[in-house]
Amino acid sequence: MQNAKDTFYTTLRNRLAALNPNRVMILRGIQRPGILVEDAEVPMAQMPADVFVLRWTALAIDTQLPSALAQLRCEIHYATGGTQSNSGLDRGRTLEEMDAELLAILNPPASQKMNYVQTTGPTAMGTRIFWSTPVFEAAVTSRERLTRIATIDVFAFQEQGEL
Amino acid sequence: MSDLSIRNPNQSAQLMADALLRAGGGMSISLLMPPAAGDSSDAGQVGIHAPNFQQLTLAPAAFRRVQATAQEGQQPKYELLISASAVQQQVSALQLTSADALFDSAAGVVIQNTQFLIESRSVSESLGQIYLYRLLLREAHALQMSVS
Repeated sequence: MQNAKDTFYTTLRNRLAALNPNRVMILRGIQRPGILVEDAEVPMAQMPADVFVLRWTALAIDTQLPSALAQLRCEIHYATGGTQSNSGLDRGRTLEEMDAELLAILNPPASQKMNYVQTTGPTAMGTRIFWSTPVFEAAVTSRERLTRIATIDVFAFQEQGEL
Repeated sequence: MSDLSIRNPNQSAQLMADALLRAGGGMSISLLMPPAAGDSSDAGQVGIHAPNFQQLTLAPAAFRRVQATAQEGQQPKYELLISASAVQQQVSALQLTSADALFDSAAGVVIQNTQFLIESRSVSESLGQIYLYRLLLREAHALQMSVS
């Protein structure tokens, strides 16, 4: 299941870097595309603005199939306060930009599953992961920020010897 | 109407803060900083590679608990007072733009081998010069040790 999570993140990250090279952040001393996995980073007092934060929540496994099918729920949190040049008055527009970017990077809704634990580098596995269409929750106003959560179910077949 | 009265800033507040911090314990603490050469690999971003945080020592500092644990499950909070002159030295040494940049990039604080997370920070100023940084800390959960 961890391979599916890792693959989902790297797929979205690579697509985001291609779609909007300007959405970047500096995290742990390096510049990266503006997307991160919450449980793979240092705990933060507040979610960073203008980046996508992946939070893994529910898990279900269907064992009635020849290969167990894992269903992993991913919440993608994002928030924005708009731009400084517009004094934040464009926060509605920047949230809409993030909605559109997220929708774009989630298509096509499948990717080759990769194993990143190998010391030789990422290796392609035998199956693909695929995911549902996102469910966008209502935007929530938190002081000067607009925040939204999009929920996606990611599906992955468990391969032989996989965690 | 602008206040145009002349006040000459000097180092007296910083010197006094340093003296008080030394008198009140004068301990050394370490900020956990990312390595100069960051890990940009896939494995580094999904939690496989160790982050190899480096410890940046700051002194003098004073550390204390700010509230007693009143309810079950409520985490105690701690306050850390750090000398502004020590912070400024490290900001200059690391060629950072400000102390904010230093604290923003810190992953936590190590005090007597215990790791804490930074919840918030504030400063104390005199004549426009910062003489003390105050960090509100929360104890990090016990981390699993890897056995080699």
